Amino acid sequence: MAECNCENPLVPSMVEVVDIKDETPDVKTFYVRSENGGVPFNVMPGQLAMVSHVPVGEGMFSVSWQEENDHLQFAIKSVGLLTEQLHNIDIGQMIGVRGPYGNGFPVEECKGKDMLFIGGGIGLAPLRSFIKYCFKYREDYGKITIIYGSRSYADLCFKDELFEKWPAMKDTEVFVTIDNEEENWSGHVGFVPSYLQEINPDPQGLIAVTCGPPIMIKFVLQALEKMGFTDEQVITTLEARMKCGIGKCGRCNIGSEYICLDGPVFNLAQLKKLPPEW
Amino acid sequence: MKVMKKAKVEKVIEALAKEHDVYVPIQRGAQTGFFSYRTYNEDYDDIMLDTLNVYQPPKSIVFPQTEKMYGFKSEGQKINIDQVFEESEPKIIFGLRSCDLKAIDYLDELFFTKSYEDEFYRARRKSTVMIVNACYNPGTSCFCDSMGVSPNEPENADVLIHDIGEGDFAWEAKSDKGEAVTELIKDLLEEQEATLPTLKNFKRKVDYEGVAEKLKDMFDHPMWEDMSYPCHNCGICTYMCPTCYCFDIQVKTAGEEGYRFRCWDSCMYREYSQMAGGHNPRELDKERFRNRFLHKLQFFQERYGEPLCTGCGRCIVVCPAGVSIIKVIEKVKEADV
Ligand SMILES: Cc1cc2nc3c(=O)[nH]c(=O)nc-3n(C[C@H](O)[C@H](O)[C@H](O)COP(=O)(O)OP(=O)(O)OC[C@H]3O[C@@H](n4cnc5c(N)ncnc54)[C@H](O)[C@@H]3O)c2cc1C
Ligand code: SF4
Ligand code: FES
Repeated sequence: MAECNCENPLVPSMVEVVDIKDETPDVKTFYVRSENGGVPFNVMPGQLAMVSHVPVGEGMFSVSWQEENDHLQFAIKSVGLLTEQLHNIDIGQMIGVRGPYGNGFPVEECKGKDMLFIGGGIGLAPLRSFIKYCFKYREDYGKITIIYGSRSYADLCFKDELFEKWPAMKDTEVFVTIDNEEENWSGHVGFVPSYLQEINPDPQGLIAVTCGPPIMIKFVLQALEKMGFTDEQVITTLEARMKCGIGKCGRCNIGSEYICLDGPVFNLAQLKKLPPEW
Repeated sequence: MKVMKKAKVEKVIEALAKEHDVYVPIQRGAQTGFFSYRTYNEDYDDIMLDTLNVYQPPKSIVFPQTEKMYGFKSEGQKINIDQVFEESEPKIIFGLRSCDLKAIDYLDELFFTKSYEDEFYRARRKSTVMIVNACYNPGTSCFCDSMGVSPNEPENADVLIHDIGEGDFAWEAKSDKGEAVTELIKDLLEEQEATLPTLKNFKRKVDYEGVAEKLKDMFDHPMWEDMSYPCHNCGICTYMCPTCYCFDIQVKTAGEEGYRFRCWDSCMYREYSQMAGGHNPRELDKERFRNRFLHKLQFFQERYGEPLCTGCGRCIVVCPAGVSIIKVIEKVKEADV
């Protein structure tokens, strides 16, 4: 029997939850830091980590942001066994993380381009890592447009960034929509794909990155195609049930690719070569 | 040539078992499989070195059906991972066949290549010696040579034994590990002239040539509907297959302590790919059936350069619905695309 060695990719490192922020009635952002300070590992935007409430279960989550060498952020929606238990923990709790997994967004290739981010619901969590990266290296990217929607005002994640910080950034536009009319909401009402068509961005020099529920992604991709975006200009992230995160357990395949290793980020040209199982 | 006489076979196993956990093909009641010699009961068990393939392949020795990964203890908000179960006791698989060895080569590809290496698998695999029993008389459901396996001259055996008649076996060490175990039993072997048998013809031939390539254009072919119709998605094929490796990771917690473990899973089950929010990329039985065969015949080939089937024939024999990977391959060959 070996001593705990973190060289084993399936054994998590233990980190402390140093802050928890309520985003919506069912989404919380967890800030985690290694016991001896710092981050357990470095991640690039769009990469993943397996997060475990050790006695309960493990689940795959996008790292929503790495704040320098200080902490990692995970925005987690409560949908089942593990995520409900995570929502019940308090600051100070030790949890497990292993990673980083997946390819991440093509941040280098996108340099010099205008960026269009299209998110729905918790799908903003992975996009946020790329959005914040663009702001951190603001001069490397052109104009930034963010289109984001949720079912209701209460369900919008990262409200302070969405309504205050991001719109105040240089050369940046943020469009927010909710599914149905609400009292006190004077913004746009309607689904993300139709709002996107109303805004009708010019594809010239633009890279579109989208993430959200499968049905939203499907219609957003159709809309972008209609507007004249080429397959190389459209990037999305896929989800699948995951257990190992390292391309071994089998379940996250589409064709001969594993979403946990070769994904979760694909452009539309790559996706079209794969079987339509997503 | 070194020869292990029939009368010495059990002595050899016993001698090896002093320093190794030796797994032997055994008939035990209604089951046949590789069982630890430590559990051998001469009143009930028969060692089956003359049988081609026992039902349960030796896969579980290097990749157990259930395997503890690590243990933890909690104390309030603190949680400590205090044990990692990397099992490396010396083991011997005695008398496995070439197809099952090839299956373990595929597990090696999976667990050791393409980014991360699996440490749990490594610990078991590196501590296991393969004593392979060469096949000269293929069975009625065997088609290993069609799938690129050599029944009598396998690569990567540590020791290769050959049935030279009368229950005697020629014994050839093929690797350093093989030399080392041969050293342990050298007094039980005899030096004598021996002629190796000649390989008999395969009764079953399957034409896998070009199948992976052709399947690229057959994702939506109607044959998947027809072929999957009788399938119950019971998963027995995946449990009996020497190459199937999909696994699940689960946790067992009692009070303040617990451990995380992995166990075999099956792509035939809906839960395998069921996601939060109800979405399932392979919701239909047909979709899961198709994914299993595409994985074996196309996807693994694309990723690792070989098919994930060794032609052992087990899945065909155990399927209650008569599904056959040979028929699937034949249908692909015949199909118009
Ligand atoms: C690449 C990727 C990135 C993700 N990023 C985020 C994120 O940033 N924020 C976020 O809130 N969620 C994210 N998820 C989803 C998250 O993994 C699941 O919501 C979570 O694992 C559900 O666990 P649970 O135990 O609470 O649910 P369960 O009690 O297990 O079950 C609820 C449902 O979820 C299914 N399920 C179980 N495990 C998974 C799994 N790993 N993936 C998908 N479905 C599963 C079950 O079959 C069941 O239908 C991501 C998933 C992937 C694959
Ligand atoms: S014949 Fe069936 S059981 Fe044997 S290796 Fe091929 S798929 Fe697996
Ligand atoms: S999560 Fe195991 S292969 Fe991707």
